[in-house]
Amino acid sequence: MTARATSATLAASPSRGTPWSKAETARLGMWVFITSEVLFFGGLLFAYLHGRTHWPAGFAVASRHTDAVLGTLNTGILLTSSAAIAWALACAQHRPHARWTARLLCLTAALGTVFIVIKGMEYRAEWHDHLFPGPAFALAATQGAELFFMLYFVMTSLHALHLAIGVAGVGVFAWGSGRRRPWAAPRRIEVMALYWHFVDVIWIFLYPLLYLVERHS
Amino acid sequence: MNDHDFARHSRRLLWAWLSLLALMLLSLGSAYLRLGMGNAVAGLAIAAIKAGMVALIFMRLARAGATVRLVATGSLGCLALLMGLSGIDYLTRAVVPSPLQPPRQLPALIEERTGR
Repeated sequence: MTARATSATLAASPSRGTPWSKAETARLGMWVFITSEVLFFGGLLFAYLHGRTHWPAGFAVASRHTDAVLGTLNTGILLTSSAAIAWALACAQHRPHARWTARLLCLTAALGTVFIVIKGMEYRAEWHDHLFPGPAFALAATQGAELFFMLYFVMTSLHALHLAIGVAGVGVFAWGSGRRRPWAAPRRIEVMALYWHFVDVIWIFLYPLLYLVERHS
Repeated sequence: MNDHDFARHSRRLLWAWLSLLALMLLSLGSAYLRLGMGNAVAGLAIAAIKAGMVALIFMRLARAGATVRLVATGSLGCLALLMGLSGIDYLTRAVVPSPLQPPRQLPALIEERTGR
């Protein structure tokens, strides 16, 4: 078989170049990216595990200085945003509800923005309470407390950075979907949604690890 | 997606969302009970259930193809390998004060290490 004939056979193949195969490829690509991100955050989670097993009392004291109310509020906001983007994708794939896609994507981006604003308010309060690691750290006499807050700021700021990228991406798709741009196709919205859900999953684990350590004491 | 599938999927999303919020409140409530090690176990177990729900329902992993499921499972396997192999080193290593340690923490650390 000549090279031209092989190429013609492949082009005619029902699994090549169809919307299904493109969607499957895009989905797989995002899952591979998510795998790399799991390992990226995994190193930080391991550092946390090491600190918590070596200085449990220090981590407990430090965790009680975080704002559990705002942390819980932010968790609820992020879970709601995940539900909103999942529904946006369902609407994009169901023609009679397609007009809801842009609205739900806007809601998702807005909830993500509210999350970042609340996180900023938390950082501001923690800065004023001298909980930022450094020479004026308020809990310096408690072993492990400074390490906790170092990990707290690194993990939450990296998460917020990922979320900010997600807000920008979802915002672009909301705009494109509202104007019926062909590039805002359901298969691309699905990839964006996978990323958003992954950022949500990271927060699901950060919430009990950072905000809920020995709250009863 | 036809009308029937859309309605069914929407109901599933609604229930998943309400369940996730309920689990979040359960996680918050359990943190205020005196359970010892149970607090950490409960917090992480609830987080794992929530993450599983997001992956299976919101990320549609339950209906994904074999390749995608393989990659998702592989990511957890890689994470377990990273944690396990790192643990062999770090979790069995004695804590030695570092020159970068804030000076106020050093005396307590040295006392703990030497008993003096």
